[in-house]
Amino acid sequence: MSDARIEAYSRALFEVAQAEGNLNIVEDELFRMARAIEANEKLRSTLTDATIPVARRQQVVEELLGGKASNTSIQLVSLIIGAGRGRELPAIVDRLVQRASSEQQREVAEVRSAVALSDDQTKRLAEALSKSTGRKLNLKVVVDPSILGGLVATVGDEVIDDTVRTRLEQLKTRI
Amino acid sequence: MNLIVTALFAVEDPSQTHNWLLPETAEIIYGGLASTIVFVGLYKFAGPMVKKSMKARTEKIQKELDGASSARSKSEVDAADIRRALGDIEAERKKILAEADTQAAAILVDGRARLVKEVAELEAKAVADLSAARGRSGEELRGEIARLSSAAISSAVAASLNDRAQQDLIEGFIKSVGASK
Repeated sequence: MSDARIEAYSRALFEVAQAEGNLNIVEDELFRMARAIEANEKLRSTLTDATIPVARRQQVVEELLGGKASNTSIQLVSLIIGAGRGRELPAIVDRLVQRASSEQQREVAEVRSAVALSDDQTKRLAEALSKSTGRKLNLKVVVDPSILGGLVATVGDEVIDDTVRTRLEQLKTRI
Repeated sequence: MNLIVTALFAVEDPSQTHNWLLPETAEIIYGGLASTIVFVGLYKFAGPMVKKSMKARTEKIQKELDGASSARSKSEVDAADIRRALGDIEAERKKILAEADTQAAAILVDGRARLVKEVAELEAKAVADLSAARGRSGEELRGEIARLSSAAISSAVAASLNDRAQQDLIEGFIKSVGASK
């Protein structure tokens, strides 16, 4: 998919979410959905398989997000899947998050954690990262059990990695 | 013996001849003439033949002598050639033997040098193989230990990552990031 098309879809999602008045919630939910699709091969192949009817793929999305995401987010994901752009959904969502962050003069900070963070931890982490980088941040937390423990934060090109997985890798290398 | 007997009889019978030793005069004359004729005939007719025969024989003998002389000369030349050839063969034999000795000595030297070199290479290869095998074994052992250690550490760490540990890690991260500026 071309950048122009990704840009167009992300702008469309942004406009709809903004019009619905829940941009922050939508971009956060879509961000989590995109990371889930990236991490789950079976889900990715199901949503991008052209041999599966579009209605069935949209039904899968509604079943997955039903009760866990806002109606706007579900409808927007169904729209992308229905347009046959399921493969590009993560890229579209990433652009949407960037756009939303730019609107707020913030930069996207992706944080991966082995377990879910509490609201308090998320807030304190956002403040700590903002203080550390000197930038206003739009924090996105992704639960990724593969890192085993700890956190890894990516802000632009800067990566702050303090995960158990990385420490084990370093230990293995030293051994 | 018969002549003596005849002479004795003649002495006893002198009528048969006038001399017991000599024949009758006419007989001497006729006999002498006949002998002369025979001798003249022989000289005239048989002499040339005898001379010719003798001359031919002389020529033949001379020819044979010449042939023998020629054969002798040729034999001497052949003998000289043979002696010279023998000398050449001896020189060639000595030369071949000398060359063979030289080549044998060179081959011996080369062989010794090659053997020394091969032995040195084999020794070096054996040492290298031994060292490599030792290193490989060490590497394999270290790798195995590292693998087992890593697996053990991963298992131990994973087992120790309870909720409390996860929260401690998160809080530690927030604290360290917040303190980094």
